[in-house]
Amino acid sequence: MAPVTLHHVKKNYGDVAVIHGVDIDIADGEFVVLVGPSGCGKSTLLRMIAGLETISDGEVSIGARVVNDLDPKDRDIAMVFQNYALYPHMTVATNMGFSLEHRGASKAEIAERVKWAADILGLVPLLDRYPRQLSGGQRQRVAMGRAIVRNPQVFLFDEPLSNLDAKLRVVMRGEIKSLHQRLGVTTVYVTHDQVEAMTMADKIVVMNGGKVEQIGKPLDLYDRPANQFVAGFIGSPAMNFVGGKITPNGFEAAGTTLPLPAGVTGGNAVYGIRPEHFELATDGLPATVLLVEPMGSETQVTMTLSEHKVIGVFRERVQAQSGSTITVRPNLAHVHLFDAATGSRIN
Amino acid sequence: MTTATTPRKRPFWTIERRDAIAGYTFVAPQLIGTVVFVLIPLGLVFWYSLHEWNVLANSFNFVGDANYQLLLRDPQLPRVLTASAIFSAGLAVLNMSLALLLAVLLDQKLRGIVVFRTLFFSPVVVSLVAWTIVWSFLLQNNGGINGFLQMIGIQGPNWLREPGTAMVSVIVVQVFKNVGLNMILFLAALQGVPKELYEAARVDGASAWKQFRRITVPMISPTILLTSIITIVGSLQVFAQIAVLTQGGPGVSTTVLVYYLYQQAFQFHYFGYGSTLSILLFLIVAVLTFVQWQLRKRIVFYEN
Amino acid sequence: MQIALYGLMCVLLIPFVFPTWWMLTSSVKPISDIFAFPPDLWPRRFDWTTYAKVFELQPFGQQYWNSAYIAAIVTAGTMIFSSMAGYAFARIKFPGSNFLFTVVLLGLLIPSEVTIVPLFQMFLGWGMINTHWPLILVPIFGAPSVFATFVMRQFFIALPGELEEAARVDGLGRFKIFWIIALPLAKPALGAVAIFTFLHSWNLYLEPIVFISSRNMFTLPQALTQFTDAYGGAMWNIQMAAATMTALPVLAVFIIAQKQFVEGLAHTGLKG
Ligand SMILES: Nc1ncnc2c1ncn2[C@@H]1O[C@H](COP(=O)(O)OP(=O)(O)O)[C@@H](O)[C@H]1O
Ligand SMILES: [Mg+2]
Repeated sequence: MAPVTLHHVKKNYGDVAVIHGVDIDIADGEFVVLVGPSGCGKSTLLRMIAGLETISDGEVSIGARVVNDLDPKDRDIAMVFQNYALYPHMTVATNMGFSLEHRGASKAEIAERVKWAADILGLVPLLDRYPRQLSGGQRQRVAMGRAIVRNPQVFLFDEPLSNLDAKLRVVMRGEIKSLHQRLGVTTVYVTHDQVEAMTMADKIVVMNGGKVEQIGKPLDLYDRPANQFVAGFIGSPAMNFVGGKITPNGFEAAGTTLPLPAGVTGGNAVYGIRPEHFELATDGLPATVLLVEPMGSETQVTMTLSEHKVIGVFRERVQAQSGSTITVRPNLAHVHLFDAATGSRIN
Repeated sequence: MTTATTPRKRPFWTIERRDAIAGYTFVAPQLIGTVVFVLIPLGLVFWYSLHEWNVLANSFNFVGDANYQLLLRDPQLPRVLTASAIFSAGLAVLNMSLALLLAVLLDQKLRGIVVFRTLFFSPVVVSLVAWTIVWSFLLQNNGGINGFLQMIGIQGPNWLREPGTAMVSVIVVQVFKNVGLNMILFLAALQGVPKELYEAARVDGASAWKQFRRITVPMISPTILLTSIITIVGSLQVFAQIAVLTQGGPGVSTTVLVYYLYQQAFQFHYFGYGSTLSILLFLIVAVLTFVQWQLRKRIVFYEN
Repeated sequence: MQIALYGLMCVLLIPFVFPTWWMLTSSVKPISDIFAFPPDLWPRRFDWTTYAKVFELQPFGQQYWNSAYIAAIVTAGTMIFSSMAGYAFARIKFPGSNFLFTVVLLGLLIPSEVTIVPLFQMFLGWGMINTHWPLILVPIFGAPSVFATFVMRQFFIALPGELEEAARVDGLGRFKIFWIIALPLAKPALGAVAIFTFLHSWNLYLEPIVFISSRNMFTLPQALTQFTDAYGGAMWNIQMAAATMTALPVLAVFIIAQKQFVEGLAHTGLKG
């Protein structure tokens, strides 16, 4: 186990810069999730940590060592790939023992480590099978087994769950998390799915366009997103945004005025409010209902405040018809305001 | 912004450098071999073609384009090229259509179809000269084929000794030898056509023939083009069949370019003129390949 | 409908299987029955001495060995060199790789028929006329191996990059990745290459008659044409016996392994 540090890391493909100077500190044993939309450079960054891409500028350290010029095999990392990358022509056991075998471990040692990993992951009955004889979830588990066998300093995961169906994804999410709690190995996990990020991470790194937007604990990002991008990316359904202007009377948007928390000042801004922070209230703003989607535990309502389309999620069971009017009130403790020009948080 | 990182000394053997070394090492045997045994000889063949070179007379004189002048005036050459063209065209047309027919038949869901596939393919693995000798035996004037024909009252021709039938015989022998290869490629292509397309067409009421024309042929057109390139270029290299069956005869009616080139160089020992014929052969192969690759870009609809 | 299809296929089969049948049966007919009328589908008399005569008239065992060992070396050599080059062209980034690939690919346009004259001169200069070197070196590096390189490259291009990356993380260098990961996965393509190459070498005819002049050095295709009597007339039954011995083993291997054979060719042979 070891801390991982990225210092001013950059990556260019020829003239095209895809990572623009990234700084991340990952503590020993921490589970860090890199999250962001597709193409933002998450995989590239992860692969630079792994040594599968060269580092154009900056430094990557694992433990006390700067690893920029080390081969992947000398970095003491293990990686779980999106398509698992199991060797099709080798059994599960051989796949799992492969890296030890090529680092000169003895047969007995390999067998013992493979057994240990297979026990943890429930792979013992599958050891003699070939990858093509396994289900998606089993392959996923073998890929993890292969990673833990060697007891590396750092685990790297690149969208490991994206090929599984929704239900299995939830199960494996839990397994990876408990594996991490059990082994305590520093982990860097890449996903485009903010739910995975929220549920698994000790620390989330939100990336966009080759830059880091915000680093923080999941609930901190949720509660106090540093900018409009993070606010919109984290949370589902996504935060509602209404453009307008901060005035002493409230937030003036086209056709309506939204209430503001006390003490905010500024000019042109974006008003952000999460769906669950609308409350049904008799003295609220009139909203025209477009669509009501009862989920059982809650009800999701798509509606318009004047001309602004927003979504509200209510614990109550809303019985409104499409086209009818309800009155809603934003919870002022959870209103986010962002600068209209830069997108940075104001309040 | 923090301060810039201090420059580190990069090790000399970076991953890129090691990979480059590996790359050159891996391609070296093939590359050097191809240069030595293919490209340099091509250069030499051109050099030789500029010389009057009779091995027996031990003469080797630079004559510029004299061999090419000779080529243009060679009274045999038009007949040789005609024979080559007839051979290649006949072979390609017959081979491709028979291969397609067989592939369509083998694509039917019938019991025991694998046995038929195996048998149709089997001549491909029979030694070429063995196959040709057997046919030569069958096509003798008093051979098997005429024997069977006579049983039903037909007096067969002396297949390999009459100008009209000699060429047909050579083509047919070669078609049956190798059509299995194209057949298998077509069969794989047919089996790769999504079944939904046929189902959709049936729903629209398209006849079997229309389905074949409108769906099958366009969908397998990449394979048709690729196999036609291979077949035609391959037909230009046919030598053993001619040498065994007809020795280019009767007259020059089956003397294709490769056979003519062999005769000039190794029977008459005109290495210079033989080399000129080699250049001609090379140009024909190159032009045909080029034209067909261009066609492939233009008219093939469904590249994967 | 089904009956009609079977009937049609059986008729179409005649020219494909009858020659082999005719070869087998004629090989055991006495010479006097060889052109008997009406033709015999089954020999009316058997003469098994034809097979012995093959070995009396030619050093046929030696010639058989020549063909076999040459084909084995050519096949093995082509598999090694073409898979190495195909792998590098597909998966290793190195300066000039596209240019070098184009250079190799040019070989496809240049069959050995085109270069036979200078090849003869080269081997003459190296003292390799009437040796087997030309029959080994020309196919291993000529057009057929270029084709094999192309086939292997197409295969390796389709290999998932993650597998190699996993292998790198697991501690393998380039050569081991090639040898332990990529090559074993390329078995179907290698099989197709092996079949093409073997058949090409086994069938080679122009090169032997140009380069080889002594009977002990002959390969089978060359030897098959040598069974003639004092007047140059073919000794058909003996020739058929020799042809049978040449054709049958390969045919037998094919029938045993026809599935791998056919599917290997179909699925990896020629994806453009
Ligand atoms: N080999 C490459 N050459 C050029 N651009 C690349 C290459 N690999 C990735 N990129 C670009 O880098 C960016 C980041 O890619 P990636 O790290 O794979 O994104 P993510 O994993 O976040 O979806 C993308 O815009 C992609 O197009
Ligand atoms: Mg990615």
